[in-house]
Amino acid sequence: MDAMPDNAPAQLAPGTPPLVLLKGIAKYFPGVVANQDVDLDVMPGEIHALLGENGAGKSTLMNILTGIYQPDAGEIIVDGYAKHFASPVDAIAAGIGMVHQHFKLVKAFTVAENIHLGWSQTPKRISAAALEARTADLAASLNLAVRPGARVSDLSTGEQQRVEILRVLARNARVLILDEPTAVLTPAEARELFRALKQFVARGNAVIFISHKLDEVLEISDRVTVLRGGRKVTTEKTADCSETMLARLMVGREIVLSDLRARSSGAAKISAEPVMSLRGVSARDDLGHTALDRVNLDIYAGEILGIAGVAGNGQKELSQVLTGMRPATSGKIIVDGHDFSAADAAAFAGFGVGHIPEDRLHSGLAPALSVTDNAVIREYGKAPVSAGFLYRPREAAALARSIAEAASVTVPDFGMPVRNLSGGNQQRLVARREMRIASKVLIAAYPSRGLDVGAINTMMRYLVELRDAGVAVLVISEELEELLNLSDRIAVLFHGAIMGVVDTAASDIEEIGLMMGGQRKAPTPQPAGL
Amino acid sequence: MAIRIQRIPSAPPAAALAARAVAIVLALLVAGLVLAASGADPLRLASQVLGATFGSSFGLEDVGLLVTPLILTGLSVAVALKIGAWNIGAEGQFYAGAFAATAVALFVPGPTVLMLPLMFLAGALGGLVWILVPTLARAYADVSELITTLLLNFVATLMVYYVSTGPWLDPSGHALATTARLPHDIPEFWGIVHWGFPLAILLTVLVAAVLNFTRWGYEVRIAGSNPQAARYAGMPFRRRLIVVMLLSGAIAGVAGMLEVAGTVHRLQGGISNNFGYLGIMVAVLARGSALGVLAGAALMAVILNSGIILQTQGITVSTVLAITGLILFFTAIGDELAHYRVTRTKPVGA
Repeated sequence: MDAMPDNAPAQLAPGTPPLVLLKGIAKYFPGVVANQDVDLDVMPGEIHALLGENGAGKSTLMNILTGIYQPDAGEIIVDGYAKHFASPVDAIAAGIGMVHQHFKLVKAFTVAENIHLGWSQTPKRISAAALEARTADLAASLNLAVRPGARVSDLSTGEQQRVEILRVLARNARVLILDEPTAVLTPAEARELFRALKQFVARGNAVIFISHKLDEVLEISDRVTVLRGGRKVTTEKTADCSETMLARLMVGREIVLSDLRARSSGAAKISAEPVMSLRGVSARDDLGHTALDRVNLDIYAGEILGIAGVAGNGQKELSQVLTGMRPATSGKIIVDGHDFSAADAAAFAGFGVGHIPEDRLHSGLAPALSVTDNAVIREYGKAPVSAGFLYRPREAAALARSIAEAASVTVPDFGMPVRNLSGGNQQRLVARREMRIASKVLIAAYPSRGLDVGAINTMMRYLVELRDAGVAVLVISEELEELLNLSDRIAVLFHGAIMGVVDTAASDIEEIGLMMGGQRKAPTPQPAGL
Repeated sequence: MAIRIQRIPSAPPAAALAARAVAIVLALLVAGLVLAASGADPLRLASQVLGATFGSSFGLEDVGLLVTPLILTGLSVAVALKIGAWNIGAEGQFYAGAFAATAVALFVPGPTVLMLPLMFLAGALGGLVWILVPTLARAYADVSELITTLLLNFVATLMVYYVSTGPWLDPSGHALATTARLPHDIPEFWGIVHWGFPLAILLTVLVAAVLNFTRWGYEVRIAGSNPQAARYAGMPFRRRLIVVMLLSGAIAGVAGMLEVAGTVHRLQGGISNNFGYLGIMVAVLARGSALGVLAGAALMAVILNSGIILQTQGITVSTVLAITGLILFFTAIGDELAHYRVTRTKPVGA
């Protein structure tokens, strides 16, 4: 591994122009200022982190730099020359390439075919073997391990990302932009990626690294530029930064993400009897495989129960079984003493079970319908939105406005399709909507997924608010730290079975980590406060 | 100054409307050019069409007769689209409705004041029965209603040909390929336009009101837009789907009943005049709005009527179909272009 100088820009000869210089960039969308007066300079040999909340304008800025959008004001200067990018083709020709968060690969094609797709240097007539040989040469010269003959659909996410990076670098990119690259990687894959990035910049190139994760930014980057509300807040040397400082710059206030388990004096006590119980519940996934395997679980009112586990171990099916969206193939679901084993989603919601679903846009919302229609989906059957069989659009709009207000989401037009809202705003709306009906239980699947630090903090506060009001809250998350901060007990799911339930106060990450890997813990403790 | 083009997620209503107007004008222009190339005088034809359509009450009455079935078949397709189903079978349901209403009129004795409502019910029931199998197949076995409703069109068409030339052939011997004249007529209220016209408008307004101002309508809109979300909210998707599809068939059946009892007065092969298929176009023009169906049907009726006038001038019926196709084509382009915005900015990096 090549060692990176502490401060790459300082070691350049004086007068070296930045690889990329953005000056006074502005971009307006109808009703939104996405970027305003943004300056950014990226020097050869540096990894430059771009940090900001959801909607801070990071993606817009990068889309401008890669020619997807054209700026409404400002200049793009590459290597000292002003450039105008009419399309991503122009940007890549100028040596600027981007790896998006969602890969843009053809899954049915091989790695070699993906690398050569839409590339002017691909020979017109070439055999598959020759394509693979070319790919292998490229990979070797750029020091990225890929399997040229493998089909993309057979690759792990980390491998797919390497293919994406190779595709960009093969086109002689000197500036590599990565959007949340580690979101999809295992820690080992992330370390490997970081190593490759450092080698890349050591050759005089530059990386722009978009991330929410503060620890990562501190680990990998040389300088950090923070955006907030579409404007640049500051650019700092990473060595001069700390996590708390970056968090404050990003959201504009101090973040306290700890000890949410402490209760205020007025908070509801944890109930003696569980409000919801699973007894030997099994369920199948969409393909008919066993997804939940004889799960026993108790959720008490006034507590937050965390569900830890690597994604894909039955979390989705658990949240659906707990809200009546998926039938249990065996076992009993008891809610407040009643048998809900055969109840449907309407019965659960009617009883006071709210549900923040894993995939909010596709299961919690009707994307093409208006914000109003979506906001009232839980309460359209009740007064004042309905009177008898009538549905009252004006009352619905009023309810939608109050939900948006409680969620601090500014909606320019409640009649516009809800898909036009940003992902973070959709999530906040859904969360607030569900909190309104969650008088007994809230099932929150990955409530902070896709949110930035500030919005995660707000979301956690929502959950704590509910807990203190005496609601049983179940939180499914992949972020262990979040669960440790938030929940009173943590249950670990592995291959659809509960490996054990631990009291958060008396546990440590290592114990939970072992259970996530499939080690069972013997007894199930009662919640604290009994 | 640099001029740039930008796509925006949802088209502003004014732009959408303007784009449609331009689309229709362009389609007519292209049609005019083709007519001119084939030796006709488009300006003379245009003035004749306009004069014959809007210049006299006879022209407007003709349009009124054409618009009635178009409103209902358009509504039929639009309603099914609300729950996410493509009812390509309005044509067949139209025939089935006309068939059932004729059966009642010919074989059940009774006073007209009783028989008309009975025929109305029979028409609705005929359309409903015709979509019943596709509906259940879609709801319980996930069989594409697009295929099943389409195929049943041919069955209904041939069935009506058969009865009107065979068992139900006019016994008086005056007609060769139709049933006897029905004993009950829907009364006219303006020239030759019968009360089916206001009834069709009333039904459309009623359906629009149900969709927008009832809980049931709200559930239909959610379920049609995203069945997953309906399941999540505990709405009975399958029950809503079945009822909406049956309603769609019944509306098309009513269109058939009104046509046979109000306009043609005999059941005969080809009575549908392609109204069922044109209903698909009306629904597409209406962009999913039940009230938009009224505007779409009016436009369609004017085009059809113009076609009839053009035929008297020696222009073939395929020309008229081509014009309809051109309008749909340009409208589709216009709808997409309405999403774009042209902006001017200072040059970047110059």
